[in-house]
Amino acid sequence: MSVQLYPGRIFALGMLMSLTALIILYMELSKKTLPEFRKLAGLDALPEMMGRAAEMNRPVHFTTGLGELTGTVAPQLVAGLAVLGHVSELAARVGVKLVYTVYQAQVIPLATELMRQAYVKEGKADAFKPEEQIVYMSGEQFAYASAVQGFAERERPAANIMIGPFYAESMLFAETFFRIGAIQLAGTARGYQIPFFAVVCDYLLIAEEIYAAGAYLSKDPIQVGSIRGQDIGKIIALVLMLAGVITTAAGMTVIADLLKM
Amino acid sequence: MTTTTQKKSIWDRLEAVPREALYALLLIFFIIPMVNPIGFPVPISDEVRRWYNTIDALPSGSAIMIDFGYSGGGEPELGPMAVAVYHHIFSRKAGLKAICMSTSIEGPLLWDKAMAEVNPSRYGANYGKDYIHIGYISGGEIAMASIGKDLRAAVSTDYKGVSLDTFSIMQGIANAGSFQLLICYTTGGDQSEGWVRQWYTPYKTPYLCSVLAMMVPTMLPYQKAGQIISVTSGAQAGQMEVLVKVPARGIKSADVITMTHLLVVGFIVLGNIAYYAKKFSGGSK
Amino acid sequence: MMRLVRRQIPIGVVIVTSVIVMSDYFFKITGTGPLVTMLTNWGIILTAFTLGFGAINLFYLHTRHIRRRTSGQWFFSIWLLLMVVVFAGTGILTGATSSTYTWLYNSSYFALSATVYSSLGFYMTSGIYRSLRARNIEALLLLITGTIAVMRNAPALAVAAPILIDMDKWLSEFVVTSAQRGIMIGAALGAIALGIRTLTGRETGFLGRLTEAEREG
Repeated sequence: MSVQLYPGRIFALGMLMSLTALIILYMELSKKTLPEFRKLAGLDALPEMMGRAAEMNRPVHFTTGLGELTGTVAPQLVAGLAVLGHVSELAARVGVKLVYTVYQAQVIPLATELMRQAYVKEGKADAFKPEEQIVYMSGEQFAYASAVQGFAERERPAANIMIGPFYAESMLFAETFFRIGAIQLAGTARGYQIPFFAVVCDYLLIAEEIYAAGAYLSKDPIQVGSIRGQDIGKIIALVLMLAGVITTAAGMTVIADLLKM
Repeated sequence: MTTTTQKKSIWDRLEAVPREALYALLLIFFIIPMVNPIGFPVPISDEVRRWYNTIDALPSGSAIMIDFGYSGGGEPELGPMAVAVYHHIFSRKAGLKAICMSTSIEGPLLWDKAMAEVNPSRYGANYGKDYIHIGYISGGEIAMASIGKDLRAAVSTDYKGVSLDTFSIMQGIANAGSFQLLICYTTGGDQSEGWVRQWYTPYKTPYLCSVLAMMVPTMLPYQKAGQIISVTSGAQAGQMEVLVKVPARGIKSADVITMTHLLVVGFIVLGNIAYYAKKFSGGSK
Repeated sequence: MMRLVRRQIPIGVVIVTSVIVMSDYFFKITGTGPLVTMLTNWGIILTAFTLGFGAINLFYLHTRHIRRRTSGQWFFSIWLLLMVVVFAGTGILTGATSSTYTWLYNSSYFALSATVYSSLGFYMTSGIYRSLRARNIEALLLLITGTIAVMRNAPALAVAAPILIDMDKWLSEFVVTSAQRGIMIGAALGAIALGIRTLTGRETGFLGRLTEAEREG
């Protein structure tokens, strides 16, 4: 059996191995000392949003958008679920009805467990009603979008939280919830939809901030360490970019050649 | 006890025009050019020209993999582009092989729709010899990776269930290396970016991509990096129709796009004038 | 035993298949080609299976609504299930590419889908009208770039004022591309991190519902 490295993929392999090592290292280091986060205004506003909903006696809507646990956007879906857990705790604490509308049926058992644990942690296990609070709408994009819009018009939630992978329906959601006067927090790593959320929503998490959201809220060492490892990866990318710009401007191709290895 | 009501100034009203009024105006600006085409000039952008030149430069007998990866919602925008490109491929009469698959479950139905519009027989093109559809392949990037590695292992029949071996177009088609060009029409960024990762990166297959207008900015980095030759939006279908000399839905939409964009600019200007006029006049009186 | 079955074995399967498939990208290893092809084809089959599974789930959830006469919902559930049966039955009996099925698709789902998609244009218009106001420096920058983009994408305006093309090109090539690259790099690193957490057994979301003991491994 022969093993040959494909030319042109050596650098990518090296980067992948380095990132893997860094992330594992920081996950372990974070168990001893938890790194600090910068402020994420959207997440700090969550208690305010829930309080507003409690005062108005209106529900809160949560969605993790479209996407499957097995697809390429799974990281964003997982990030959304992490925030769902925290939001469920807040909802249980202030006595607000949190409704999670579901696109992908395979998420239902996970979401049920997350929310149940949150309510149990707040000592309000009886207040959790999964059949009313976890609503499977549809597995089709626009059927789901229409169903959520219908929910918004009928139930008129005071707050709308959208964290996850969103597609064309993002603007439909944002405008509809804006129209009914809901305060909105949105976050997605899909670059196509960030501008729409930026224009309409009150609070926004851009791209990798949604990955940090779960860690930021839970302070789980594994998640926090993983975010720290990602940040180091970004620093490496920045250093390479700067080095590339400088060397290329100086007429040298060392960085370009390195990346092409 | 008396209540006083503040009279809204003209600027208050203009700053907060009801959305129903906005939508009504927009609808009017949609309908007028659709019913009565105005014939605004249509510039040919560099991206569309590059797309056209890429197909024009293909050697005779080249195989093109086409992904009909859009859904019904995107058909009004991407359908005209797909149709115009098929007109180009068939009109070249260079024995180009257009092998189509779909990463979208609605793809085969939308392909049928497009082919009905193209009418390949007018170019003497025959199904199974000049063009074919090998069906919807589920899995997104897994599908792309699979057919790139070994097409026959991933799919053995066309979209109607007929064995691929019976079609002359599929002779010699084994994997990504068998194709000289990849074209993707999609409403989903996962597909347009997935082809970069699964076909361009490992096999360096030249790649053309047509997406929704709102997706173009996100695809630009791939174009700048040379991973995609040209990223166009379906809204540029009118330009492609001008180049292939088959005016259809795309060129009609160009008038609508101009009118509605002008209206939107008008709304932006109006909103800002009202905002500043209200600010400088001290608010509502 | 349950922990082994519900956690360790699935994680083991994930690790082995991931390493094989990832290795195939970086290394040319004789003998693994057919194995990787088989694994990716299994992925296609599994994805197709989830489509069917989704339909079964749909039936289960909506028959529950019908049985319980969920207020405001149960009659819609009946209609939905009827449509599923009509579409599935037509597809099976006449073929998914038959003229009957195509007519059914074009006159219902396609028309509705295109309509809902098109409504985005209206929502965007009201969003633009409301938000593109020069309230501060950032909003002014957004206003300027947004207006240039809108004007450049109007074909007739681009012909009348070619400078719009150059301005939009500059914005696209330098501002937009660099910002999007930053977002992409961040998103890609996030995906890699999730992959690493999954491969090291620290991310168990994909395993479904686990007990506290199973989750801790």
